[in-house]
Amino acid sequence: MTMTRRQLVAAIPAAALAASLPRDVRAEDGRKVVTFWFGQANSDGQAALRNDLVEAFNASQDKYLLQLEVKGAAVNNLLKVALVAGNGPDIVQTAGPAYLTAIANAGQVLPLDDFAEKYKWKDRFLAPLLNTSVYGGKLYALPRDYESMHLFYNKELFKQNGWKQPTNRQEMEAIADAALAKGVIPFGAGNADWKGVNEWLMTVFFNNVAGPDNVRKALAGELPWTAPPFVEAVELSKAWYNKGYFGKNYFSLTIEQSFLQVVNAKAAMAFSGTWSFGTKSYGMSKPDTVIDVMPTPTLGSAFTGSLVHLACGATLSIAKNSQNAEGAAAVFEFMLTRKFYETMNRDWPGKWALPVKDLPPDMLQGIGYPLFEKTIANLHEAFSKGQYGFTTWTFWPGATNSYLIEGIEQVWLNKITPDAYLTRMQTLFSQEAKEGKVPPLPPRTA
Amino acid sequence: MWLFALPALLINVCIILVPAVLTFTAAFFMWDGVGKPAWAGLANFQNMFADPVFWSALTNNFIWTAIFLIVPVCLALVMAAALLMAPKARIVVQSIIFLPRIIAVAVTGRIFQGMIFSPATGVVAWLNEHGFSISDPLADPDRSLYAVAAVDIWHWWGFLAVVFLSAMRQISIDQIEAARLDGAGFFALFRYVLIPGIRPTLTLMLILTVIWSFQVFEFIFIVTRGGPAYGSEVLATFAYRHAFFEGDVGQAAAAACVMSLFGLCATAVYLWLQITDDAQST
Repeated sequence: MTMTRRQLVAAIPAAALAASLPRDVRAEDGRKVVTFWFGQANSDGQAALRNDLVEAFNASQDKYLLQLEVKGAAVNNLLKVALVAGNGPDIVQTAGPAYLTAIANAGQVLPLDDFAEKYKWKDRFLAPLLNTSVYGGKLYALPRDYESMHLFYNKELFKQNGWKQPTNRQEMEAIADAALAKGVIPFGAGNADWKGVNEWLMTVFFNNVAGPDNVRKALAGELPWTAPPFVEAVELSKAWYNKGYFGKNYFSLTIEQSFLQVVNAKAAMAFSGTWSFGTKSYGMSKPDTVIDVMPTPTLGSAFTGSLVHLACGATLSIAKNSQNAEGAAAVFEFMLTRKFYETMNRDWPGKWALPVKDLPPDMLQGIGYPLFEKTIANLHEAFSKGQYGFTTWTFWPGATNSYLIEGIEQVWLNKITPDAYLTRMQTLFSQEAKEGKVPPLPPRTA
Repeated sequence: MWLFALPALLINVCIILVPAVLTFTAAFFMWDGVGKPAWAGLANFQNMFADPVFWSALTNNFIWTAIFLIVPVCLALVMAAALLMAPKARIVVQSIIFLPRIIAVAVTGRIFQGMIFSPATGVVAWLNEHGFSISDPLADPDRSLYAVAAVDIWHWWGFLAVVFLSAMRQISIDQIEAARLDGAGFFALFRYVLIPGIRPTLTLMLILTVIWSFQVFEFIFIVTRGGPAYGSEVLATFAYRHAFFEGDVGQAAAAACVMSLFGLCATAVYLWLQITDDAQST
């Protein structure tokens, strides 16, 4: 059909008006549509999202239709812009409480307290993780998973060399030095594709050198980041980098390449997170036979023993402008079902480890991944008891965390001193703390 | 007549003027990108000028500009002149040198990062395995900017050569022949006929190079993300980091204002040169 000039001119304001009206939120079959944007997902992950979440949810009822779009690495930026424009998805997934803080403070997501009451979420989630999304007494998000840094190691390499799991810094450095002497990289690491690897390492150094209690005090504003325990932590990170513990090509290797070094026995160990259990894509069909995981031991004198690190890799909220909040809550409730927990963790391990009391980790026994099952069980226990450190990506506010990541490279490459690094961090942190940008801190026990 | 210009004017107002004014305004507010903006006065500029990373980024922009005003321009001029003198080779060589421009920036960045510079999978790895000791330049804060610049030069200079060649082909063949008959060799022809003959194009490309150099972002973001240790940070990556990683849109807008300032200065120089030229020719 051809339009006359007059029709065309009339159509422009009509189209503009239509664009500003509420979106049609009903599918062809009459079901109300729930939209959800996801960030990065590899091929395994995309298949799991499609089969275990979207299709399974849509088949489970006839009131709502879940529509999921994988947006890629830029999802956080897209989301902020869309929310401000009042045009975001119904389900707002952020990269964790530190990202959620700004969005919740701006009132771009709905308080979930009524849904939490209805579905008993406050009784079902582990309190330390759920409380990271409570602002001003209101719950703004559900934690999608729990994460922690772990020390992965090559079992065969340890066995061949008679290395035992280290329990303190001396033992750890002895193994690292022995590995270096044999031409083996002590810790496979690389940040060529993701600078956030810097903060994975700094999470370990801050918590396992300075101690989780000191980290909590600093996050609560009771201890400056320039205090001696943190100086010791940064200096140790620099010493290890300069000794070559992280290899010669830290800035040139991708996460996958560096993890493969451990798999191929070119590196002895690797500090990585729970997300690495999705490493079937890293070329390991049976990870349990090649690698194992140990908790990261103390690296300083501030505490003894080993430590896991409390992290929430993603939060799930409902947009303020959602046309279908009930449907979004129904999706959340579906995610808490035993079937979803089992299938998603089987198909995409480590991505959706829901921190829920009534889905015990021993349920994972059937998924054929003992290493993952063991680790999740340990995490579940540690988080339930309040015994954890604090991850940078969950508890550090945005600008401070960005500097933590970027600035540490200057320290490692001898551009600035550890003192200068921590002084700058303290300046940024003080400002952000004053502006209320520090996420809520859960209590911890010794 | 104004009615004919109206659509173009409206488009320019919507996609250039309005965002520019909004960005300039944002520089005077504290805004995290989702909440309510708060008036900040000159605080964003003060914070930015007090940040050593900003000065490092600005210096890198100047270095980048200097590199791009010299290396690709000289390469392109010489190649264009050579192709002008060798018409038989022109089509094939022109196609080859233009080819990098066709490849998407993201793809070029990844190719150089993973297949050239990488000490694990790239040419650097192969050289290291065969007795050469070469470290990855992208991992060195003192070399990373130059390494990324090399990638961008590879991507850019062929296009520049084609533009210069097109301009040289507008020079009267009689003028070139006359110079040859007078005994001018390649360099004399280049210096006294070709360069003066393409002066308007050369001036335009130099000015555009300055403007683009202060906007450089894609290659740096893809290949090094401004690192390591801010070694390849430029104003655009500085602004991007503040806007999207640190939730400080005001600071990012302030950096954008500085970028625009250099662009405006370059444009003013160009306009002044044009006006001077016009005045001389009339």
